[in-house]
Parts: sequence; structure tokens; C-alpha cells
Amino acid sequence: MDFPSSLHPTLFMTGPLGLSNVPDMSFMCSWRDALTLPENSQNGVPRLATGLLWEPETPGPLPLLPPGPDPWDPGVTAQDLLFRGGFSFRRKPQAVLDVTEQLSRFLWDHGDIAFAPLGKLMLENFKLEGAGSRSKKKTVVSVKRLLQDLGGHQPWGCPWAFLSFRQRRFSILGGPVLGKSVASLLGELLHEELAMRWEQLLLDDAFTGGALAWVPGKTPQVGQLVYPAGGALDKLYFQEVNLTPDGDPQALGDPGHIQLRGPVRQVVTCTVQGESLLAVRSDYHCALWKVSKQGHPAPLQVLQVGKGATGISLSPHLPGELAVCSRSGAVCLWTPQDGLQQVYKDPETLVFWDPSPWRWADFTAHPRVLTVGDRTGVKMIDTKGPPGCGLLLFRGGAEASCQKGERVLLTQYLGKCGPEPLLPTVHLICTQFSLYLVDERLPLVPMLKWDHGLPSAPLWAQLQPPPRPGHPQPLLLGGQGGHLQLLHLAGEGASVPRLAGPPQSLPSSSDSLSAFPLLEPRSQWRLQERLKAPTIGLAATIPSSASEPVLSLFQLSAAGDVFYQRLRLQAEPRHHSRAPTASWTPQATACCSRWLKTLLEVPPTPPVWAAPTFSNRCLLTQVEPSKVEQKVPEGLRAAMAEGRLLQQRDLGSLPSAEPPPAPEPGPENELSARLEAAWEGQVAAWWEKQQGRSSGPRKPPKRHKRRTQLSNTFSSLSGRLDLSDATSPPHSPDRTSSEARPQPLVTPPSQELTQELWAQGVPSERQQTLRDYMAKLPVQGDAPGEVSSSLSQTATPSWQQTLQGGATQLPPRRNPPRGAALPSSQTSSFQATPSRQQTPVLSGSQRHRKKPRMGF
Amino acid sequence: MSDFSEELVRSKTEDEQEESCMFSGTGMSFPWLQKHIETVATGGKKEKDFAQTTSACLSFIQEALLKHQWQQAAEYMHSYFQILEDSDSYKRQAAPEISLQHALYLLHHGMFEDANRNLSHAETWRYGEKSASQEVLINLIQAYKGLLQYYTWSKNKMELSRLDKEDYAYNTAFQNMLNHSGKMSVNLCTLIQTPGVWDPFVKSYVEMLEFYGDRDEAREVLTNYAYDEKFPSNPNAHIYLYNFLKREKAPREKLISVLKILYQIVPSHKLMLEFHRLLRKSDKEDHRKLALEVLFGVLDFAGCTKNITAWKYLAKYLRQTLMENHLAWVQEEWNSRKNWWPGFHFSFFWAKTNWKEDKALACEKALVAGILLGKGCRYFRYISKQDDQVIKKKIKRIKKSVKKYSIANPGL
Repeated sequence: MDFPSSLHPTLFMTGPLGLSNVPDMSFMCSWRDALTLPENSQNGVPRLATGLLWEPETPGPLPLLPPGPDPWDPGVTAQDLLFRGGFSFRRKPQAVLDVTEQLSRFLWDHGDIAFAPLGKLMLENFKLEGAGSRSKKKTVVSVKRLLQDLGGHQPWGCPWAFLSFRQRRFSILGGPVLGKSVASLLGELLHEELAMRWEQLLLDDAFTGGALAWVPGKTPQVGQLVYPAGGALDKLYFQEVNLTPDGDPQALGDPGHIQLRGPVRQVVTCTVQGESLLAVRSDYHCALWKVSKQGHPAPLQVLQVGKGATGISLSPHLPGELAVCSRSGAVCLWTPQDGLQQVYKDPETLVFWDPSPWRWADFTAHPRVLTVGDRTGVKMIDTKGPPGCGLLLFRGGAEASCQKGERVLLTQYLGKCGPEPLLPTVHLICTQFSLYLVDERLPLVPMLKWDHGLPSAPLWAQLQPPPRPGHPQPLLLGGQGGHLQLLHLAGEGASVPRLAGPPQSLPSSSDSLSAFPLLEPRSQWRLQERLKAPTIGLAATIPSSASEPVLSLFQLSAAGDVFYQRLRLQAEPRHHSRAPTASWTPQATACCSRWLKTLLEVPPTPPVWAAPTFSNRCLLTQVEPSKVEQKVPEGLRAAMAEGRLLQQRDLGSLPSAEPPPAPEPGPENELSARLEAAWEGQVAAWWEKQQGRSSGPRKPPKRHKRRTQLSNTFSSLSGRLDLSDATSPPHSPDRTSSEARPQPLVTPPSQELTQELWAQGVPSERQQTLRDYMAKLPVQGDAPGEVSSSLSQTATPSWQQTLQGGATQLPPRRNPPRGAALPSSQTSSFQATPSRQQTPVLSGSQRHRKKPRMGF
Repeated sequence: MSDFSEELVRSKTEDEQEESCMFSGTGMSFPWLQKHIETVATGGKKEKDFAQTTSACLSFIQEALLKHQWQQAAEYMHSYFQILEDSDSYKRQAAPEISLQHALYLLHHGMFEDANRNLSHAETWRYGEKSASQEVLINLIQAYKGLLQYYTWSKNKMELSRLDKEDYAYNTAFQNMLNHSGKMSVNLCTLIQTPGVWDPFVKSYVEMLEFYGDRDEAREVLTNYAYDEKFPSNPNAHIYLYNFLKREKAPREKLISVLKILYQIVPSHKLMLEFHRLLRKSDKEDHRKLALEVLFGVLDFAGCTKNITAWKYLAKYLRQTLMENHLAWVQEEWNSRKNWWPGFHFSFFWAKTNWKEDKALACEKALVAGILLGKGCRYFRYISKQDDQVIKKKIKRIKKSVKKYSIANPGL
């Protein structure tokens, strides 16, 4: 084989990646560079084809097949996982996983899972049935009484929930034990899960290599698309497709399918010595089929990979030979005849330490030499030689001018393309920033480096044979977000591989939105989401018989949709400044409309969140709930099961219940006005104005207002203080204001009851003394504080003196400073429970709110 | 004063550069992470601050370029420059690199004069303290200048070859050349001692040294380029050295030692056939053994399977080796290949295809297949059954050789 007689000048530096004292000379091996010396310049400088362009026929890809019957859900997004606080004080926002929110949601939604095991552990301390206190043990709590108090409502985190002494006692005594163990155990597990999900959201490498393949058929125009579909991607479909030279590709008949036992992650195909083979990688299995000339797949062998397979490659040299990589760091050669042969095993990464278990293997120009790649580099290993030895082909480091944090995402042997590859020794290596072409005869020094700038992880690459003899080869690069780039690779034999002509970016499926008719917002959102679904596979083919080369490109989305687009090679070099923009044809829009109709017929996915099921009802068989009470939970349950908003009519006749007050921004604005005035040094004027305004005849409202304002000042102040702690969610000011707004001056029956309870057994002449005494106690105390609050309306005149006084002696029933989230203010917030009838309304409509505590 | 303020600006931008990279817990950076966070932190709203405007503008430029919308790209570029203030000295420090890029562009488009001017401009560029990285860059710039001088020199050399030695113009031209060569050697010398791939520079430098008869210096440059361990293992370094030694008519032993290293790096190189010829003629037994190994090595590679010369050499040399009773050599090579060469080279598919495409190749391969696998092998059987009048004799000869030399045990 010829070796390029003169390589690009390149500086060779050894060292780790991200060296800052090295000039970045990667531009020297970009497409601009095709240096020739005068001695062979007679052959002519390889001319840069400026007009080289594959022109898309439509502004975006079109759906090839009708959408599948299974609904599709996009899954978690960054918004679901990240902490939603304002990080305005930071110069650069940082990703902070919102564990608190998730934990709180978990406790809300799966309280049975969270607390039931603990309950079981403490079973002997609970008495679940039977009346009377026959048990002599003082440590036994009667669950029946507790549940009676709960009245069937779940008070977790709900400030309006009513608490009895019994519950309070239970909460205080059991809190440290229950709370800690649940929080620490669950918190740890949740954090682990969240971190995993987040990593997956940033980079989902399961589909590396792509799950879509084009198996050529008898004629160049006909072939089969092989791809997984179905909700779990566990059905492997074989769809015959006819590529007409002038029209759109047509699906011939219904696809055949094979049901597999796991989701399909990668589909590879290769034709070696006239034999078409198809290999499929699932999470823990790999399988090999032989595709007959008629296109029928015949299974050859299935392989189980205990630790999980990360990559599979078919040999371009020997029919039926595969390389399989496992998470354990092992690479095996696999042939159906001879079985498995482990050729490499190293749980450590090649160049430097990286936690990712992702491994990749591919073939080289030598059938017995494999490349083994991980996130840090790529090594060539000789399967005949002693285990472990080999030569590094690519090193994540200064040799390739790698950036800090740069990692290998994909490696591919480019000599697989066709029976007589033009680049038989070149390997493609993609990182999140750049694309490298490395010749296996000159390891470590990339022949070409190009910053692809894709906004998502490039996990798919396809090198196509040249459309015409002597033309550059199209290299397609696909990102997970559906982004596509087309590069023109030239350089065969004795010349260095280089980019001929500027690279091109191709339309992605979200560009097709304009082909669809305008819909009502809900459906439009669904369509948009569907089109934005991440890509999981890429396949392309250039039917050779066509007079004008046409590149047919297929893309598989995570929703199981196959999109296609056709690109025509521009025959003449153009000199237009603007690339001609394709427009939608009536056929294309009709195709989209048909597809959309089928899509909207599929019922949307049920929400991920399911209504929690409370099982305590069955324990309360003796208790006869009142009619109203029965209707409320029924309505609530029905609404939750359907996942819709709870409405007044669901609750039946509840005219007495106070509707949840709407948030009002009033006091907030006053605060800002005051601050503004203070900033300008006119706070005194503002104060006077304020006083002047309120010194009218309406005295009681004024008092009321100032109290509100004070509490707001307080809560927003402490809210600010809270912000400094990044791991606990601060309360946004608007919520604070809505929750801290004044409550109607209705004495709830429950509190009257409490008062009576408290007053029981106290001689009436001593009650006043006791009241005075209680009024001096701080609010944070437990039961007596509550009583004092209901009494303080008449008895404590000193609360509005100072801000500090407000903090300790505010009547919490009216102005609960719970927004301030003082760590120990748990009890004070529970005092602010005006009426138990409000509870169902709130728990129905506010269940996704952030609650800083988790029950009891 | 202005220096001071610029220094402040610079330190700040550098700081930001570092911070703008996003890293996950694993140390991997994600260019798309920023986008995720922004949607969460600002609740989906876009903050219009300076950095975001510039980055948005930059991405517009990139997108327009990739969609080949040159006009649009140019418009964006114009606004980008307006956005970027002149005081961005961080960028200014990269000026030599930009100059070099521009010079390379000019160089490749044959605008040598402009390129030279550009390089001189870049060479004299100083901003702040000269760092180590800048020094390498300056060396590189000087080397490119040297390369330009080489272009002029080689043009002069061509003119010189047309002139008569007695001519007055000859002397002037010669003087002219000498002038250029002096500058050139200064410019090239430093760079080619820095580890890297410097093929065009080394090539032109050696050509000049050879022209003036400085063979020792040329040999030293090439030896250093090939054997310095700090350099990447560049096959061209060994090829240049080998070609130089060949021109020098160096002894066969010396040539073999150079090619031995090339064989270890690139066993598929076309020079390996030349290497085989050298080894074949050698008196040493281990050289003759290596000659067989080299042939097998060449034919291991997918890109060499249809190399008829290699197959011809192998067929001939196998016969010769077996004739000389070195069956062990053949067996040693064959043992590591016998489980994959039959499928790789001697399958029924290849027998049909080779026969259809290249009958001579098919015959050579059939002979090798027959010797290695016995007359029962599919490839040999298919070819030997072909009824072709033209090469009937040849096939008969092959059959005879196979019968005589086949290493395959007929009992198996």
C-alpha cells in the first residue's frame, strides 16, 4: 500500500489534554492545508472543489412510515432534574441536582414505599386494631386513634392539615428516628439515581453506532431498513424500501418483525464476500443474522453478555466475524463457528482514569488487529500477540491538541466502505468537540482534525463510497439531537486524507415543522416534541445506477419514527452567494398531514405521575364517615386518577369551605417601593406618605396591613439568607407572599376544640393568669403556643413593636412566617391551620409544590 | 496606563474562558450543558448580555457557513466584529496564528509573494512577553519562510540546469541560489529539531544539502529525524533515509537495517517488496527467513490482497524455501494464519471473483493455496478445474508444484 509521500507539518507534543502553553496548531491539518512541494507540483495542487454541495430536496426530512401505535414520552428533561433557583449572583450558572425536590415528591407520591418498611420494623410498637387499652406497655401507640385524627387526609407537608396532640407527640418522639433513616437512606439512593439520570441526559451512549441499518438488496434501488420500534424498542423491523431515482423512497409492503427480549441499541450490517450479515446489540445480548439474497434473515447465533455490551462491530474481512465489547473492559472476537475468543481485557481506561465503562472495538486493515477504544483513547491490539500489548492509535492528550474535558465518543474504521475502500487504513475518531482522522500506520498524529461544533453528542458516522469515480467521499456525522453534518473526504493512495470543500450542515427533523399544518397548541406541542425526539440511528445509501447521484438519508428517532431526506449532488460549481432554499412540495405536505393524522389518533401517554393510593381506609371500617367527608375524597380520588384539575363540583356541596386564596402581589410591591425609596434616601417621605394614607378613618384595616407588611419584610429577608445555601431550595418571594397573606379571621372549630381541651380541668379563675403566662412563651413551644395564638388576639399587644418581636410573637395563625423556613419553625407552620375543610382542595391542586419538610 | 488596563481585561477574559467550559462530575466537558442549565436557571428566558450576544452571533455565523449561505455569513461576520471590541487583547495574542493560517492559505493558492509578506509580518509580531508556545510558533513561521525560500531556490536550480556553465548568468544564478540557501538553512534548522512531522521541510532541506554536497549533514538530519525517540514514528522519516542511502549507494546491510524498522512500523508498505528482494539475495540465513515473513506480512493486509507481485513473489519463494528444505520456516508463518487465511484469501467467493477479474492473480494464489492447504482446498480445486486454453500449461505446472511441495498433510 502507498503511504503519503509527504505529510502535513505538525507539531508533536506529549502530555495531558488541555495544555495551555502549547499553540493550537490543529488548523494545520484542516481542509485548508494541502501543501505540495515544487517537485511534484506539476501534478497540480489538489484543487479545492468550492462548488461541492449536496443539495437537500426538501427543507427538512419527511416521515417514511406511519407512526407506530405505541405512545411516546420524551422522558426526563433538564428541568425535571435541576434545581430551579435563581443563580443570579453566580457569574456562571452551575448544574445542581434538585435532590430535595425529588425526595419530597417521592415521599408525597410513594409514601407507602418510603414509610411502610419502617412501620413494619416498628410493628410491635403499634397497635393496629382492637379497642381499649388492654396492652400494658406504654410504648404501644394506637394506630386507630392516630388515623382517626388524620381523618383520612395526608397531612405531610401540608400547612393546613390539622394535628392533634397525639399526632404531635408521635411526630416529636418518632420524628428523629423516622425522619433521619428515611431521609438518609432514600436521599442517598435518590441522589445516586438522579446523578445517573443526569449523566444519561448529558450523554446517552447506549445507542452509540446507531440502531438503523440499510441492508442492500438484489438491485441497487431496493434494500431493507432494519430498525427497532415499539414502545420498548424491542421489536426488530425489516422494512423493504424502493428508492426510485426521481421520486421519494417507497416502503414496499408491511415490515416483517422479530420480537426480542430487550431493547435494541445498535444494528450493524456488512456485506463480506457476497454475504450480508446483520448484527444486533441489546443491553445484555448480541445476536447475528445472515440475510439471504431474497432479504430473509436467518438467525445464526445469540450471545449473552453478563456485564452488558457496549459495542459490536462486524468484520469487513472475514464473513461472520464480530468484535464485541463489554462493560467489564473485555473485548472478544466472536465467530459463530469458533465461538468467543477474548482478545483484550482491562477494566482500567487506556490513557488516564475515567469512570465511564464504555468500550468500543473495531477492525483495522489487518484482519487480526483490532482497535479498542474507551473515553480516553484508542489502542490497536494484535489478537495473535501476547494479551495486553498494543500500540496507542489515539491518545486523549496534547498529541492531538485535545481540550480539557475532551473525551472519545465514537471510533470507526473507515476501510469498511465497499469492497475496495479508498481509505483502507484510516480511522475516524469523534469527540464532543472535534473529528479526527488517524492513519493506523502513523499512530497518535491525526492526519486531519476538524472542529465539528455539533450541539449534541456525535454518535453516528457513515462513510459513503464516492458518488462518481474520483469524487470525494461523503462522510455523514450525526448528533444525538438530530443534527447532521456532511463532510467531503478526499485523499486516496499516496495523498493525505483531507476535507475537499467546506462541510455542510443538513436539515434535521425539527426543521420539518413548517411542512405540517398548524394545530391547536396541545397537539402542536405534541408534534414538536415528537419531531425533537433524539435520534438513535442513521443510515444512508447512494444507489449507483442513477445518472445523477442521489444520497438517500434515513434517520431513526427514539420515538420509533423513520425520517428520510434526499440530497442531490450539485453538478456545476455554483457562484451564488446564497444556497438555494428548497421548498415544500404538495406531496411532501400531504405526506406530513397523513402522518400527523395517524399520530394524533394515538392516545397520548398517561402522565408519569400516578395518583398515590392510601390504604388506611381499610383499617377504619368501624368509623362511619359523614356524607360530606365521603364525597370529598371520592371526588379527589376521581380527579387524581384522571389526572385533571380538581374542581368545585367534584367536592359536592361544600359552600362553607374557603377557596384557596389567590396570590396577590400587593405587599411585595410595597416592599420594593420602600426599598426603592430607601435607596434614593427618601424613606422618611415614603413613611409619612404611607402613614398619611393609612391615617384615615379606617383604622382596623391599617393595622392589618402593617402587620402583613412586617411579616413580609421578615420573610423576604430570611428568604434571601436562605439563598446562600445552594443545596436547599430557597422559597421564591412570590410563594412566600401568597402563603403569608392574611387569613380570614374565622376561628376554626378545631381550634376552639383545642382550646376547650386545654381549658378542661383548669379552674376558671386561674385561666386568665395562665393566659398571661402563656403569652410570654415563645411561639416555638409546642402545644401551649398554639393555645396562646388563639388567645393572643386579645392578650398580646406588644407584637408590632419591633421586627424581632414579630419573629417570636407574631400570631402565627394569621401571619405564619413559614416562608422564612426557619429550620425549627415546623411547629409554627402547623399552627397556621385555619380549617380542615380546606385540606382536600390544597392537597389536590398543590401536590407538586416544593415542601421543605417531609411529613409528621 | 493603557497597558495596565489591557492587562486587567486580559486576565478577566482568560478567567472567563476557563469558566465557560462545563464539566460534569466525571471530568468530561459537555458543550451542550450550558444550554440545559440556561433553560433551567433563567426559566427559559434568554438573558441578553454581552457574552450571550457574541456567542449567539458566532453560532449564527457557523450555521450560515455550514449551510453555504456565504452572503449571510458575511453579514453576521460584520456584526460580530462590531460586537467584539478592539480591546480584546486575548484574541490579539493569537495574531501570529491567524497570520500563519492566512499565509498557509496564500501558499496553497500559489501566492508566494503575499505569503512571504504575511509570514514576515507574523514573525515580527510581539505581544507581551514571548511565551514558550509563541516561540514554537515563531519557529514554525520561520520554517515556512524557509520553505518559500526553497521554492525560489528550486526555481533558480531549474534555470541553472538550462544554463551553460561558462555563461556569465550561471554565476549570478548560482550566487543567487547560495544566498537563498543560506537563509533557508537558518530558517529550517531550528524547527526540524523540534519533535513533530516536518516532511516538506526535511525533504527540501536535504535536497539543498545534497545539492551542495553536504552529505554528512544531510545524513545526520535524516538519521535524527528517523531515530529521535521524541519524534512520532513517522514512516516517511525512514523512507527518506532509505532513499538517501540508496542514492548514496550504501551497502546492502545498511539498507536492510533501515527497512527492518520500516517493516516494524508499516509492514504493508510497498517498499516491503523491495525489502524482500534485498533479503532474498542476502547470504545470511535469518535474512532469508525474514524474506518469507515479510511476504506473508504484506499479504495479511486487506489493501494488499490483490497485489499480484506479492503473490508471485510468495509463490516463487515458497517453492524455493521448500526446495531448500526449510519447511519449519513455512510452518511457523502458516501456523498463525491457518485459521483465517483460508477464509480471508482462499474462499470460494475469491476463487470465482479472482478468476473473473484477473486470471494471472488467480493462478499465483492457487499455487500458494495448493502448497499451503493441499490440493483439496476449494480455491485450488476451482482454479485447477477451469478449462482455459491459454493458461492450460500454467495450470499444469501449478498442479505439479503443488503435488511436489504441498506442506499439507494429505492424511488429514
